[in-house]
Amino acid sequence: MTRTTYHYEGGLLVPRRKLLVSALAAGAGSVLGFPALALDSKPLKGVTLNTSLYSSPYSKLLRPWIPEFEEATGAKVNFDTPGFPVYNQRADLELSTKGAAFDAVNVTFIYSSRWINSGWLTPLDGYINDPNKTPASFDVNDFLEGALAPERGRDGQLYGIPWQAEVTIAAASRFDVLKQSGLAFPDTTDAWLEAAKLLNRKERAAGFVTDNHYGWTFIPFLQAFGGDVFRKAPDDLFPTLDSPEAIAAADYFARLLREYGPDGVVSYTSDQAVQSLKAGRSHLSVQGQINLSQLADKSSSKVAASAAWGQVPKGVAGRFPGTAIHGWGIPVGSKNKDAAWQFIRWATSKETLQRAVAAGYGSPTRRSDIDSPTYRERQRVNGYDIASLVTASVDLSAKQGHMKYRTVAAYPQVDQQINKAIELIVTGQRTPEQAMKQAQTASIAELRRAGVSV
Amino acid sequence: MHAETWHNVPPSLPLWQRAVQGAQRHLRSTAAVLVLVLVLLPFLWMLQMAFRPAGDALSLDLVFSPTLEAFAGLWQDNFARSFGNSLLVSVLSTGLSLLLGVPAAYALSRWRFKQRRQVALWVLCTRMAPPIAFTIPFFLAFRWLGLLDSVWGLVLVYLTFNLAIVIWMMQGFFEAIPTALEEAAWMDGCSIWSAFWHVTLPLTRPGLVATAVLCFIFSWSDFFFALILTRTQAVTAPVAIVNFLQYDGWEWTKIAAAGTMVMLPVLLFTVLVRKYLVHGLTAGGVKD
Repeated sequence: MTRTTYHYEGGLLVPRRKLLVSALAAGAGSVLGFPALALDSKPLKGVTLNTSLYSSPYSKLLRPWIPEFEEATGAKVNFDTPGFPVYNQRADLELSTKGAAFDAVNVTFIYSSRWINSGWLTPLDGYINDPNKTPASFDVNDFLEGALAPERGRDGQLYGIPWQAEVTIAAASRFDVLKQSGLAFPDTTDAWLEAAKLLNRKERAAGFVTDNHYGWTFIPFLQAFGGDVFRKAPDDLFPTLDSPEAIAAADYFARLLREYGPDGVVSYTSDQAVQSLKAGRSHLSVQGQINLSQLADKSSSKVAASAAWGQVPKGVAGRFPGTAIHGWGIPVGSKNKDAAWQFIRWATSKETLQRAVAAGYGSPTRRSDIDSPTYRERQRVNGYDIASLVTASVDLSAKQGHMKYRTVAAYPQVDQQINKAIELIVTGQRTPEQAMKQAQTASIAELRRAGVSV
Repeated sequence: MHAETWHNVPPSLPLWQRAVQGAQRHLRSTAAVLVLVLVLLPFLWMLQMAFRPAGDALSLDLVFSPTLEAFAGLWQDNFARSFGNSLLVSVLSTGLSLLLGVPAAYALSRWRFKQRRQVALWVLCTRMAPPIAFTIPFFLAFRWLGLLDSVWGLVLVYLTFNLAIVIWMMQGFFEAIPTALEEAAWMDGCSIWSAFWHVTLPLTRPGLVATAVLCFIFSWSDFFFALILTRTQAVTAPVAIVNFLQYDGWEWTKIAAAGTMVMLPVLLFTVLVRKYLVHGLTAGGVKD
């Protein structure tokens, strides 16, 4: 395999041949109207960048390309990619102690508000708006607004550049069975209950399965019923977990799991739920698209030919798909902020992300990638356009602002209470009313402990 | 109870009584097998999962074509390095703990000095609080000392905790050995050190082994400190296993393969020193 020699110019890796042609054409100027770098220039020579991102399809794609960035800039990049739980533990500790161990880190969605609003990350607007540091071709407006929103702090500044947009979608592993029963893909909460009931135990599979992280998978149902986590996040953080709507939603959701879920469903992690769907042991699910798109993987899924996808169910209050955005940020303690920004700019540039999409990346954050024929074609499975489901969900989230509950710094604690409440209802240890009232009381205590005035 | 007393049913008993006793025997055997299966089931399940193809990891079918794919994957993911780190850290911390802790335990058991009990109690303090209480101080100190992500840093942490085990356990073993033996050795011209080395220490061998096993297991299976205090270079096996919990799915077969590999040294070590271990752990259980 021949390796293209790239050169770093104006924040982009430009193939050497292209650079030479451009340099000749533009004299001393650069292709993009920025100061050209001499061919032997290594702007980051001697700099060692310590970067960390949890292991994901994107990080696996990025790793073999990093030497190109190193070669072009002269920087040495240590790229640490631990598992998701390991990454979060380490990053949280490192950021909270304002350490200098990392120069560029992933801004994990569930921690984004805590990390950003505690002043542990560096605002990026200064870099983005400086033409000497960021070429116009970086085009920050190309990122989905719904993906940029969670990366903004209360001061309105951007603290992360999104590289992954995940949304909750719905899927049916054996749509053929559903069709034979005379039903369409369920679109409303009522239709979901009907479909789960009808499919349960058909083909020796459970009717419904989902990830036991209910602070993520239950919320679209909670909001569809007209409930919410807080009264009006982020301004009024009084929890509303014991509202009649929330209790009704919890009752409904727990019923889906208890009556139509597989045995031991409350212990199912996202991966176990996906494995169950892929093996044809469960019919319906609502989860992140990163998980549910795996149903189409012919090499590991027995239901690749029969799977169908749709948006999360609509309830009396509307449709509320969850979105989870992950981005690159610079810790406030970093000693190489400028170099870190150059790395982030490269890692999230149009060229790099286009290349990732071409190599099979399925959660892009740039509109240009989502609209690209390459991505669109790959995301079309069994006649379903998963890309459209994703963009519709991200746009809806940006428009409705229903994910603001997730930008509350103390949400992880409330999240735990929601997990516990649903588990107690499903296992029959509490009635929906008892469990949700308990979650409400515990959440208020947790929020007060975190210094939130409720 | 000795086996012969219930294995051989006296033929003088009436037939119905012999039948009842036979049935009881079978019931006991069946119960024992059931308990064994229950105890071994998680291990056996992990073992079979380690040899499955990745896409078939959670299948309930007991018939499958075994593959070494997961083990090969571990090799590619540099698990061998983490495994080596675990081994190095465990051996070093266990060795150093014994080296420092055994003389300390001997001194506490043989010499009478002011605050002796208090010193022993202070030593035990490190085991009284949950590990998380020590995490932030360790993390900050190590960052300042440049010991983050280093094998020696981990050895130092485990040494802190293992010393308490060594001192407390070995103190009990030394106290169980009559001082007359050492005094006799002194009379024969041995120095204090020589008597300790040639007389006392060999007698506490079972205790030493039991203590070493406990120290090794603590260092080998620690996840929490390794998670916080390592990054890439000094990552140990338990942390490396958790790294197989990927965002887009868990690598079950690799987790099972790594789990199997992590169990082996402890299993091997325990089997090798079983004789001493049982003796060491039960010594002092009955007062003569």
